[in-house]
Amino acid sequence: MSQPIDLETMRRVAGLAGFEWSDAELEAIRPLVDASLRMLAGLETLPLDEVEPTTQYRIL
Amino acid sequence: MADLTFASATELARMIAAREVSPVEVVRAHLERITALDGSLRTFITLTADAALAAAAAAEAAVVAGRPLGPLHGVPLGLKDLYDTAGVRTTGGSRILADRVPAADATVVRRLREAGMIVLGKLNMVEFAYGPEGLNPHYGHPRNPWDATTHRMAGGSSSGSGAAVAAGLAPVALGSDTGGSIRIPCSLCGLTGIKPTYGRVSRAGVLPLSWSMDHVGPMTRSAADCALVLGAMAGYDPADPSTSVLPVPDYTVALTGDVRGLRVGLLRGFFLESATAEVRAAVEGAATTLEKAGAVVDEVALPGVRHAGAGSLAVVATEALAYHAAWLRTRAADYDPDVRTRLMLGAFVTGVHYVRAQQARALLRREVDEALARRDVLLAPATPITAPAIEARQATLGDGPADIRSALIRLTRPFNFSGHPACSLPCGVTAGGLPIGMQVVGRPFDEATVLRAADAYQRLTDWHARRPVLA
Repeated sequence: MSQPIDLETMRRVAGLAGFEWSDAELEAIRPLVDASLRMLAGLETLPLDEVEPTTQYRIL
Repeated sequence: MADLTFASATELARMIAAREVSPVEVVRAHLERITALDGSLRTFITLTADAALAAAAAAEAAVVAGRPLGPLHGVPLGLKDLYDTAGVRTTGGSRILADRVPAADATVVRRLREAGMIVLGKLNMVEFAYGPEGLNPHYGHPRNPWDATTHRMAGGSSSGSGAAVAAGLAPVALGSDTGGSIRIPCSLCGLTGIKPTYGRVSRAGVLPLSWSMDHVGPMTRSAADCALVLGAMAGYDPADPSTSVLPVPDYTVALTGDVRGLRVGLLRGFFLESATAEVRAAVEGAATTLEKAGAVVDEVALPGVRHAGAGSLAVVATEALAYHAAWLRTRAADYDPDVRTRLMLGAFVTGVHYVRAQQARALLRREVDEALARRDVLLAPATPITAPAIEARQATLGDGPADIRSALIRLTRPFNFSGHPACSLPCGVTAGGLPIGMQVVGRPFDEATVLRAADAYQRLTDWHARRPVLA
């Protein structure tokens, strides 16, 4: 996601996850959420097409 | 008699077995030091003095009776307050679990008691282990003992463990490490601690932060002590399905002091670029020390490590929120506001982010494995900075400014993400007298070589033997 997240989207996402956070609470964390989503978007630049996700550890 | 509170675990076990000192004397010396110093250091949440003295008396009786002794018989132990202890509250550094009393010991606590260790109490930590600064508003911020004038971070989340061992309140403490929480306090407090391979040590009975990133391990004042304690903790546990059935070697046998021919990869790029000039010089100096002792040192980069931060964020935020969701709905006001904010963030990480992170994890693991295919260990700073003042929010790193939180974890979390074993140990001090830490990273389940390298370095240097001056 490259666009900054807006309050309405945050309300909907938090609601879907079962959290009833106030607008003030959401607004307070919006810069952190924005920065984190920008960071996470960087994962899309990795050459991951042929990489299977790690779902199992080296259980030897 | 030498100062028992700064004797190593190895030496204490030897002295007790040889009847040179009683476990009661050892435990009493530590309890007296805790009483004298912990008012300002704030390392213990719960001190179990009576139980420790009773256990010490029983340990003394076993010595007198000539019964077989465990390898750590009579040696005191501090536990980060997320290890379950039967009949003793385990708070996770939180208000939410302030009165939680487990019925049983965590697997590793049970194993260490069986090896003869005596639990002194439960150590302060970041609430639910979610933060690297080491602060705790509920139980007081632990103080880094290396600065008597400025209240500096002990590093977290195992901050009480780090400060306690550095100050001589316990020879050994257990920490847990999800993004660096063993290695960061070891780096900031001048200690030696190991985050073992994921699956080497049981997490059963340890409060989770992030199931797939959490590792548990010992924090001590030497690699030799790490080897002794890790050997008593490690191994398969049916209560933790992630543990390996690989046999546990005797790590102390690996400590030959010989690094001739050991192939050491000095991690350039991201790792050394991030470090301040003093940290970089100390780690480069350590590489030179090992090289002069016969190690073969080359330089290596891990380009994929730049995405370890994003990947770790996706995994930890999501898994932590899953664990805390119910409390976050019903007891949000009881959290440290900083921890609550980090937990809330998890709601905005998507399923696709999580899977991408697991793919990135596979990629990084492959990259680290490839670097270790031609080398025995990798060497890097443990933290790019030394202990900040507790009010600090920004740091100047070798490659620019960064907030303290991300600065502290940026060099340790890649190996939580990849699962490789990593040992933090001191490799210098700043001009201001603060410890500098480096980490030795090894192949999966090859803690023996990691500890061999760390121990050999400690036979060549005395950084690990330095002690803070306490009032």
